[in-house]
Amino acid sequence: MLWRSPLALVVLLAYPLVVAALVGLVASYANAKPRVALVDEDRLPVSIEIGDRTFHVGRTIDRVANEVTLVRLDRDEAERQLASGRIVALLVVPRGFVADLRGMARSPQLELETTRGGLSIRISQQVQALVYQLNRELSDAYVEANLRYIELLLEGGEGEFLGQRLDVLGLAGARNLLDELPPGPRLDRIREFVRTAELALGETDDALRATASPIELVESRDAGRTWALSAQVQSYALALTISFLALLLAAAALAGERDEGVLGRLRRGLVGPGELVAAKVALAAVAAVAVGVAIAIAFGAIIELGDVEGGQPWSRLPLLAVGLALAGAALGALGSLLGALAREGRTASLVAVLAVLPIVFLGLVPREVAPAAAAISTAFPFAHGLRFFTAALFELDPWTALLREAAWLVGLTLAYGALARLAVVKLPA
Amino acid sequence: MAELQLLSACGISRRFGGRTALEPCDLDLRAGETVALVGPNGAGKTTLLSILAGALDPSTGSVERPVAIGWAPQRPALYGKLTPRENLELFAALAAAPAAASDLPDRPAAELSVGQRQRLNLALALLGSPPVLLLDEPTASLDAERREELWNLLAGVVVGGGAVCFVTQNLEEVDRADRVGLVEDGWLSFE
Repeated sequence: MLWRSPLALVVLLAYPLVVAALVGLVASYANAKPRVALVDEDRLPVSIEIGDRTFHVGRTIDRVANEVTLVRLDRDEAERQLASGRIVALLVVPRGFVADLRGMARSPQLELETTRGGLSIRISQQVQALVYQLNRELSDAYVEANLRYIELLLEGGEGEFLGQRLDVLGLAGARNLLDELPPGPRLDRIREFVRTAELALGETDDALRATASPIELVESRDAGRTWALSAQVQSYALALTISFLALLLAAAALAGERDEGVLGRLRRGLVGPGELVAAKVALAAVAAVAVGVAIAIAFGAIIELGDVEGGQPWSRLPLLAVGLALAGAALGALGSLLGALAREGRTASLVAVLAVLPIVFLGLVPREVAPAAAAISTAFPFAHGLRFFTAALFELDPWTALLREAAWLVGLTLAYGALARLAVVKLPA
Repeated sequence: MAELQLLSACGISRRFGGRTALEPCDLDLRAGETVALVGPNGAGKTTLLSILAGALDPSTGSVERPVAIGWAPQRPALYGKLTPRENLELFAALAAAPAAASDLPDRPAAELSVGQRQRLNLALALLGSPPVLLLDEPTASLDAERREELWNLLAGVVVGGGAVCFVTQNLEEVDRADRVGLVEDGWLSFE
């Protein structure tokens, strides 16, 4: 029947795509670099001498602040912008920072002030990463400076320490002088000490570097999937599309039958209320499988044409189809309930659209940001469908996740189906 | 034969929220009889017929009815996106009855004229030749020729041992009935 309403068909197919694009925009906004104010109360100099190395603190902060956009503001302006939400955090360089950095007697401190809310965790993590990167840079500078001192001790020569110029004999020079002296037990002990010291300090290089970075992370970039083709995006696209499709289809189909008066005719012994709901559930499941598999094939074709590393897991397509059917059925049961409660076709469609948006967004909220939202989302099929699709397509050992999410989807189908049946019984013809 | 009860309603009533649409009443349909229900708009005739047909549950009372009942509601109950032939085939399949032929145009029912939709509505009620026909203003929107055809068809049902109960606003049609029930402010009474 749907193909005879081409406008409705176009709207039904185009609407989820438009919303998906909007969600993509929201997601890209969420991924954009948040603005963080850098409040420099210590008036950072252009450069600081650490050892014999020139260290540009401000420039280094800018360079390592990859995940945030740093804007230099004075304290008052930063506080004002934080209150208005134009920036999400303040990173303060307090007075005495450079003195502590030069003195090496105590750790210099950076202060972070964030807003309360979901982004604060992310900002805190990003600033921790920034401080980690700064420490790495400083640590490297300190290690290099210390190694120069050790080289001076080993080889001798002219150097500078705490602003004083020194002419150092060095262990090599000491050994040469000792070799010119006649042998003797006391001189032999001094020679032995010089040799041991040379050996020990000769190994200092690697040891010092290892102490500064006990574990070093070596990062490399491969030619993996781009963000647009990632497993997560594919799963989101599937879950989002079938949520709209199945929920609207089932709700509109049931309410539409009442609008046309056929519900009364059907219920007079031709079709029981349970069968009426089951038919809508089956319709939603079939539509979800058809559309979902088509989307997965489209993704796969793009991935194959683009020769993207990893490729599309074609062998998992049957598992995906099972998940689409289960999720479609659960959404169909929920849609039937909405259709029976709304009672009229247009109202049912509107209610379904109004319902599906929060259901989807609840499922998108990360658990660590809002545990309550994540808990509520378990009562709706979207989150379970999403997890099923991700596991089916991309997890190496998906069975535990698949069984858990399948059980949830079957349970939700039965629960919403029973409620929808009850609502249909009470629905006037 | 006239004493064989095909449908029996006992103490049925219906409330919609705080409003009573139908006060408690009894109604029997016997084989070989035609019953007309008359009354002003909003008196409860359609509610009574819907309860007899099983399309609406009564608030009180019960209805004993045969498995197959032909029901033509006041507003045609059909799938607007399906053609008359498709509607007939679908409902025939659901009722496990042979599909009836239709001379109506082969286009979606929503695009038919009001009279054509009413004819399809009646054709759906007649699917499977049910012994009891419950018709809500069946001649509304029908031309004179079609009205006569309908009355002849209903007479055949009654002669064949069936029963017909119809709602009408046309007092001339009351003469077609063996009994006339007056529904007024939800109360049913027989002359």
